Amino acid sequence: MAGLIRLIIIGGILLTIVYVALSFYSRAVRRGKLEADWNVQGRPGNMKDFVDNGLKEYEGSLRRKLILLVYVVPISVVGTIVYLTNYS
Amino acid sequence: MVYVKWVFWGTFWTVIFAFFHYTLPQHDVARITDTYEQRVDTTEAPIFWSRPETVTEGPGANRDVLFIQTFRTNERPMIYRNEDTGWGWPPYFKFDTSNLQAEAADLRSASATPQWVAVTHYGWRNEFLSIFPNAISVRAVDSPDVRIIPWFNIIILTAFAALTWGIWARWRKWRARRADPMVDDIL
Repeated sequence: MAGLIRLIIIGGILLTIVYVALSFYSRAVRRGKLEADWNVQGRPGNMKDFVDNGLKEYEGSLRRKLILLVYVVPISVVGTIVYLTNYS
Repeated sequence: MVYVKWVFWGTFWTVIFAFFHYTLPQHDVARITDTYEQRVDTTEAPIFWSRPETVTEGPGANRDVLFIQTFRTNERPMIYRNEDTGWGWPPYFKFDTSNLQAEAADLRSASATPQWVAVTHYGWRNEFLSIFPNAISVRAVDSPDVRIIPWFNIIILTAFAALTWGIWARWRKWRARRADPMVDDIL
């Protein structure tokens, strides 16, 4: 049991680092795109409001939720290996 | 300086190669002659033995390990250990050691009437260190000439090559754009 707990803790820490880093990176990319969009659309109103609105939309988007695959994929891989090694 | 560079990269890639060669699964075609259990002192070369939680092992202790002894198609002996890897490294997550021992014992055969099996394993056999590859699974095969395509290894090594190439390409680009002009400025 101790081995499983160790795997969960170490794996959890590593994946969380990846998750947080990816989240910040993805948000920064989105911000850059929104700023470019604002220019292309003929600078409608205040840039800060435009970008903040876009980022709020991004918060609820599927793209944002896809980052959760950072957790889902490794857990599925481990589950698959456990099955293949022990039950087939 | 150029020799330092060669030695560095030679050592680096040797370690990488050894790591994959030890860790990735390989398939041997062999016939099982016997299975047995032996008490071993795993403190001689501890990194080449598993540390499963199902057995207790204190410092300096020895313990029982299951073994599968076989002859490969080239008629040379190969002995596998059969140990749980548990949740540790390498990540095979093997817990069915006892089941595997039962399957291996069931597939025993004599040289006159060989029953060939494919043994999936990782690890190295070394007589001087007394280390053994760890068997992951056995399955009966029809003939000693069976061809097993290592799809898993192909995928892993391709992914590793892609990653290496990606890092290398970015490193080169970074050097050409940033590092080299900076060095040129200084000189």
